[in-house]
Amino acid sequence: MSTIAQAGRKATDPLRPEPATVIEVIPETPNIKTLRVAFDDPAVTEAFSFLPGQIGQLSVPGAGESTFAISSAPSQTDVFEFSVMKAGVVTSAIHELGAGDPVAIRAPLGCAFPTDEWKGRNIVLVAGGIGMAPLRSLLYHLLDNRADYGGLTLIYGARTPDDLCFASDRDDWRHRADLDFTATIDMACSIWDGCVGLVPTVLEERAPSPENSVAVTCGPPIMIRYALESLARLGFREEQVYTTLERRMKCGIGICGRCNLGPKYVCTDGPVFSLAELNGLPDEM
Amino acid sequence: MRFITREKIQDLLEALASEAEVWAPRELNGSGGSIMFERWRSGDPIAFEGVTTLSAKDMVLPRTEKLFGFRYTAGTGNLLAEALGQSAGQPAKEKGEHLSIDPAEPVAEKVLFGVRACDAKALDVLDSLFNRADGSGYEDPGYRSRRAGLTVITIACTSCDEACFCSSFDNGPAEKAGSDLIFYPVDTGFLVEAVTVRGEKILARDEAAKSGQLFEESMLQPPALAETARVEGTADMETLLPAIFADLDFWERSTASCISCGFCTYGCPTCHCFNIHDEMRGDREGERLRSWDACMFHIYTQEASGHNPRPTPAHRYRNRINHKFSYYPENQGQILCTGCGRCIRGCPAGLDIREVMTAALAHARGQGST
Repeated sequence: MSTIAQAGRKATDPLRPEPATVIEVIPETPNIKTLRVAFDDPAVTEAFSFLPGQIGQLSVPGAGESTFAISSAPSQTDVFEFSVMKAGVVTSAIHELGAGDPVAIRAPLGCAFPTDEWKGRNIVLVAGGIGMAPLRSLLYHLLDNRADYGGLTLIYGARTPDDLCFASDRDDWRHRADLDFTATIDMACSIWDGCVGLVPTVLEERAPSPENSVAVTCGPPIMIRYALESLARLGFREEQVYTTLERRMKCGIGICGRCNLGPKYVCTDGPVFSLAELNGLPDEM
Repeated sequence: MRFITREKIQDLLEALASEAEVWAPRELNGSGGSIMFERWRSGDPIAFEGVTTLSAKDMVLPRTEKLFGFRYTAGTGNLLAEALGQSAGQPAKEKGEHLSIDPAEPVAEKVLFGVRACDAKALDVLDSLFNRADGSGYEDPGYRSRRAGLTVITIACTSCDEACFCSSFDNGPAEKAGSDLIFYPVDTGFLVEAVTVRGEKILARDEAAKSGQLFEESMLQPPALAETARVEGTADMETLLPAIFADLDFWERSTASCISCGFCTYGCPTCHCFNIHDEMRGDREGERLRSWDACMFHIYTQEASGHNPRPTPAHRYRNRINHKFSYYPENQGQILCTGCGRCIRGCPAGLDIREVMTAALAHARGQGST
């Protein structure tokens, strides 16, 4: 809500998508795939930019359109990525796509993380499951501008090792000296020798300091709820905590009516909100 | 004021129909008195009395509207995709497909004759979201082109029924906002007042015509207007409603009869929530459509995971009331209700929004027995 990013899309009709093509499909987990996509029209690519946390509408014309976080680095705009969990009709059609298949895209939409305001501060990222997708874009942005920020912590959890996304990224993150990365799974298993524990529990064990820090959390609603409680116990105040929300959306431009929290629309006023902002809105999660 | 006889209305519509589609209220055969806006053609009867069963909003927001057509053709449209796909070891499919999206189609100019002030005002209320006059907000291309091509001729109300409650708001039975011309019913005809330049042009063009003047000067006095039921304090709801949002018991009690049928939203001249969906026409082409949706439906907010932030009729009715009387005023500066009464006339469960409004106001002010 803090950063309005209108960059990157000059369109006279915000409901009209641009044709695009799937470049590559990366299977992440049994039910999550990352699609690398590019616009067909070079002029659209030329004008396109996005900021971390912004969302897009990805459609398979004929099956329909759904809203997803852009999960790739904002520094790369010729090819960018959506990470999609198979859940309904449209996401099932998306999971059928292969390289070379046509899609249509409206992006970017919504507001980004206020990364400019966070310069000079420590950043703590707390992600669960597919909730890593928007935080991955944010993490790329922070790493691309590493000198602008203090300590960088990532806690990323999933139910099982097979449910953790972004395997090649995780290899990189694990070896970076400038990132404190913990991957965790819910329950111990034979193929995992890493951290075991629910994300909020691990967060409290790692106990990042709230001093000059910002925490960002995204994941299943139940994880977000407990992560927010853990952050509060660690001493993070509500204006130091950010999340990015999901809702059923259609238009992506604040008029079709279904994604509102009180007078605010997740698609345009969000999806990024500070906890301070959320606490001022009606509780209708 | 200018004056036109009832007999000459046919001549007026005839003249207007030479340049645009004319739509007017007509009693439907065999409907038991239901009046609807219908395409008017020379000689068609016009229902001068009463209010239409559905509003006029589909003049600007059609029930189902084609946003665009799309087609799949052979061959890839993305050279980058081919190059990168091959380097990634994932060559484009053998029979590549290319997606193209059709350009926008022009819409017909229309004249809406015989609309009531509540429905005309509703257009003005919708303008503040879809087509802000100062260009500061979102401009919906489909809405904007339909609105720009729409001439609105309103008949002020000298009578009303018990469901009407337009006097509860700034608008009333002769509200001007949204109209180009206002017709005031008097003996044998209508006094006519121009509201916009577009309305003035209709009068001026008649004046310039050499013969058969439609409008004449009149010294008649405007008629007494209808006095509708009134909910007091509607403007206070914007700031009062948030205080009782969390009291779900109140919303359950006061909306217990709601069966989530959605008529209130379909009948409403200001409800504008919509769905977007695709329909194929064969294997290779299709259309993306925008259709009226209803916030009273369970599935409206249900997510693919099964989670629903508004799982019960009370959650949904609470959102509807808040949207109309708090959120929309906060975001757009206007109340999203013009008191047309259709949600009261048409509710199969007998739920009266005025009673919910009154109870909510009383509860929020801490005066209610609720």
